Amino acid sequence: MKMNKLTKVIKYPPGDLAIWIFIMAELLVFGLFFATYAVTRIDNIELFEQYQQTLDTTAALWNTLALISSSYFVIRSVLAVNANQQPQAYRFMLLAMLAGLVFVVIKTNEFAVHMDHGITLSTNTFYMFYLSLAFFHYLHVILGMIVLLVLARNLKRGQYTVTDSSGLESGASYWHMVDLVWLILFPLVYVM
Amino acid sequence: MKYTSQMVAKPYFIAAIGLFVAQILFGVIMGMQYVVGDFLFPEIPFNVARMVHTNLLIVWLLFGFMGAAYYMVPDEAEAELHSPLLAKVMFWIFLAAGAVTILGYLLVPYATLAEITMNDLLPTMGREFLEQPTIIKIGIVVVALAFLYNIGMTILKGRKTVINLVLLIGLVGLAVFFLFAFYNPDNIVLDKMFWWFVVHLWVEGVWELILGSLLAYVLIKTTGVDREVIEKWLYVIIAMALITGLIGTGHHFFWIGTPGYWQWWGSIFSAMEPIPFFMMTIFAFNMVNKRRRQHPNKAAVLWALGCSVMAFLGAGVWGFLHTLSFVNYYTHGSQITAAHGHMAFYGAYVMIVLAIISYAMPMLNGRKVANSMSSQVVEMWSFWLMTISMVFITLFLTAAGIVQVYLQRMSDDPLPFMVVQDKIEMFYWMREGAGLVFLIGLILYVISFFVGRDQPEAQLPK
Amino acid sequence: MSQAFTKSMARNIFYGGSMFFFLLLLVLTFDTVKSLPQTDNRENLTAQVAKGKHVWENNNCIGCHTLMGEGAYFAPELGNAYKRMGSKEAIIAFIKFRPKNGIPGRRSMPQFNLTDDELDAVAEFLKYVSEINNQNWPPNIQG
Repeated sequence: MKMNKLTKVIKYPPGDLAIWIFIMAELLVFGLFFATYAVTRIDNIELFEQYQQTLDTTAALWNTLALISSSYFVIRSVLAVNANQQPQAYRFMLLAMLAGLVFVVIKTNEFAVHMDHGITLSTNTFYMFYLSLAFFHYLHVILGMIVLLVLARNLKRGQYTVTDSSGLESGASYWHMVDLVWLILFPLVYVM
Repeated sequence: MKYTSQMVAKPYFIAAIGLFVAQILFGVIMGMQYVVGDFLFPEIPFNVARMVHTNLLIVWLLFGFMGAAYYMVPDEAEAELHSPLLAKVMFWIFLAAGAVTILGYLLVPYATLAEITMNDLLPTMGREFLEQPTIIKIGIVVVALAFLYNIGMTILKGRKTVINLVLLIGLVGLAVFFLFAFYNPDNIVLDKMFWWFVVHLWVEGVWELILGSLLAYVLIKTTGVDREVIEKWLYVIIAMALITGLIGTGHHFFWIGTPGYWQWWGSIFSAMEPIPFFMMTIFAFNMVNKRRRQHPNKAAVLWALGCSVMAFLGAGVWGFLHTLSFVNYYTHGSQITAAHGHMAFYGAYVMIVLAIISYAMPMLNGRKVANSMSSQVVEMWSFWLMTISMVFITLFLTAAGIVQVYLQRMSDDPLPFMVVQDKIEMFYWMREGAGLVFLIGLILYVISFFVGRDQPEAQLPK
Repeated sequence: MSQAFTKSMARNIFYGGSMFFFLLLLVLTFDTVKSLPQTDNRENLTAQVAKGKHVWENNNCIGCHTLMGEGAYFAPELGNAYKRMGSKEAIIAFIKFRPKNGIPGRRSMPQFNLTDDELDAVAEFLKYVSEINNQNWPPNIQG
């Protein structure tokens, strides 16, 4: 894999092709879910609007900020590696994980509140979609956190360099996907 | 052939083909019973014929998988099989168990079979595809464990290729998920739900790993494409198969008393199930196009390519046709399901086993790499006869299903089941015709093994 | 192609992705099993129903019929047979009086020689199944 030059070869898309196949598949699943949500909402507009009121928009807003900042820190981490500043890259990766952790904590709390109210996937169509989408995304955040953890470990070991950062870029791309999905999920399910 | 222990694959392949012939004979009988209701009644009622037909399919595919593993694993691991003796003993045990089961189905009423095998101690019988007496199911587990031990030890001591590892994961999954066959609660909803943990997680889960692994092996051997390339695509394809197929289980949970949310989860994920099959088709053709060498065994390459196409059509396209819940609401349990089942099993699993047999048999028979040209010509004829007639079986059943769904479930004045069956009789006759052509193709396939035996091997054009 | 495509990344996605979706399947399965009491009519699952299920299994009824759409497609759907035929008695009479040698030229259900208790049990089983909430399938009474 190592190339014999010190300058970065810009390739597009960044990272490994395999991760992009995975990202495309994930986006397709979420896309289908969003589309069916939108279509079902048209048929049940009153039900959806009524129960959307029960969601905690403030918490979701904080979560949006958490994921956006997390994505930003991941970018900074990649850029730091490209600038040959591995220790800084590692610190940014820790910050990214911290922001991700904020999301997980807030979201877990939201789910706990719903569970206290006895709300399940079978409560009604709105909650079916809300819980399915939110929980499916939540699991992706957790998977993404595991990916970030591996990236942080590898950064600490200095495995990523200017010329060899494909693994880092792959993980970063995946994390951006998780972020991107939330940026659609948030307005679609909480706000609109 | 590099390792003498690979020879144990041969009886497995022969048994597979023999049981395949029997399976198709019973298929033809059932096709006849669809149009001449009292054909062979009451000697072989439809339910018995169907049980024999489906159980033989499963058993011969398992023989095929095992034979394939015994041939392929030593070659990939670059080591002799751990215990050829164990493989031989297990062959006879499995064959005997299979024969006893089939004879049991045919010779005594099913209720009597349940009684004499003491089904009441641990009731597992009488569920679709899992009709085997409980004692036979235990036998299957024992054979599977011995087989896994043998294969696993061979892989462990030798070179650990991706192809071997994927095969091993698939086979372990096959054995593990079969254990759900022993769970048969009184609650029919729970029963049905976990029944799919065997059936779905087999054919739309771990069997796809076996399929991918065998296909990759045949492609490496016949095209000479770099192993690295083939193996990474294998990973991506089976990843997609499991990513879509695991939650895709939900498309069986629409109407069996399970919660309504499965209609969404099942529809969305199973809508993506064609993707890995499509990738497999692209992959197979790409590898053959990029081949570094010509292989004299044209028939094996034909089976491998045909498998990738027919699996995509049968499992991918025909599955997608009726997998969305609002379509499935009308098509569930109709002839459309039967159409999909036939082409999917033939395309994905029958053809991959025939591909590996086609590749391996010449060597097992002492050839260097390929059969004589005349043998291959007959085999390729059988390929086209079987494949095209299976396409027609599928088309006729689909037509029958569409009319059935309309008359029985969608029209303003829904007609009773048997009235509708009479109205679609013509399609069943055509299906039976196509089935007979399939049988001719299969006979030709068997003949191909006896053609041109004393002729020289097929050579590549200079 | 400057694009990297490595076997190790493909392998990670296979293991990671499969584990992820397998766990998701387990979570959803868990939720389903927990919510089944709302739909599966278990309050009516009597000993006679359980016995009827064994009669159903021991005679391989699934070899010709479908039950909630699953099985063979040779004979009518039976998940709603109780509703279609109207009563347990009608079901019992139908099974009991099947001609031993069939009907010339036509499909006919075999004579299974069930005892009166077995007949009652299997009818009770079909009644129980017809009362399971299975999202209103089949679309109409013809199954």
